[in-house]
Amino acid sequence: MKRKNILRYIVLPLLVIGAAAAIYIYKEYNRKQKDTASLKPAYSVTASSLVSEFEANEKASNTKYLDKVIRVDGMVKQLEKDDKGFYTIILGDTASMLSVRCSIDSIHTSEVAAVKQGSVIAVKGICSGFNADEMLGSDVILVRSVVEF
Amino acid sequence: MKNFFVAAITVLVAMTGFGQKYFTKGAQINFDATSPSSPEKIEGINRTATCVVDTKTGNMQFAALMKGFGFERALMEEHFNENYVESDKYPKAEFKGEIKNSDKVDFTKDGTYTVKIKGKLTMHGESKDVETDAKLTMQNGKIKATAELSVLLSDYKISIPGLVADKVSKTAKITVSCLLEPFKS
Repeated sequence: MKRKNILRYIVLPLLVIGAAAAIYIYKEYNRKQKDTASLKPAYSVTASSLVSEFEANEKASNTKYLDKVIRVDGMVKQLEKDDKGFYTIILGDTASMLSVRCSIDSIHTSEVAAVKQGSVIAVKGICSGFNADEMLGSDVILVRSVVEF
Repeated sequence: MKNFFVAAITVLVAMTGFGQKYFTKGAQINFDATSPSSPEKIEGINRTATCVVDTKTGNMQFAALMKGFGFERALMEEHFNENYVESDKYPKAEFKGEIKNSDKVDFTKDGTYTVKIKGKLTMHGESKDVETDAKLTMQNGKIKATAELSVLLSDYKISIPGLVADKVSKTAKITVSCLLEPFKS
């Protein structure tokens, strides 16, 4: 009787906890980056207001936007494809040195085909910060971006 | 006729002015801290780094946002940002330096050159002198550049906890590859 009790109240719960912990650790360890397309944006802004916000106060904007999913509306200034086939959509006013550079998630590369230079689109991505450069023009960078249709 | 000469000279000066500076905003930087005994790759890739090279003076610089490094495993990326490079506190990594023998490179015609790069690398709030070889390939008026650099993480006050010491190496291999285009202002 006593042995049975030990089994029921100590060994069994320990086994259950151990198994749950093992599953949790395994899942957490193998967790992949979430597809941005499935994420809800924390902020929805226009490209020009986003860059001017960063230019006015980089520190406050970093606190507000870093690591957040942002939806940015703007005109496609340029579409870049690098030598490895990765796309970057550059949003902003052609007259302005400031832009939002959206590095497109490789699993969404095919969707970029519909994007035309000069058209107004929305891009959702994760804000990785502000790259200030007087000569080249400053940019807000979005990574793992997807085009919103 | 005088006007023609003035115009011709202006155009010539403007043309030689071009092609002095080359840049990209899509430089790729790989940060590989896989220890030799680790069964898996511990590598982050940043495709949003900027780079500017002045071919006349040989001066060059890189800037990369730490949060722009993507890792395959989400947990690895979180640890990289929160525990190792503390990217909230130090959002940017920067390299400022020069091509030591840029005079040996003919930037006006196609060819491949090996150059020496020397400068200061700043990350995690620490600056250290670094030196490496880079390969430059001139092609159709653009520069394709690749370089590799090993850094000791403790030099930048990045400490690796004992628990993961068998996976995360004490030195990181930084590989840079970019295609620089002429800058027209």
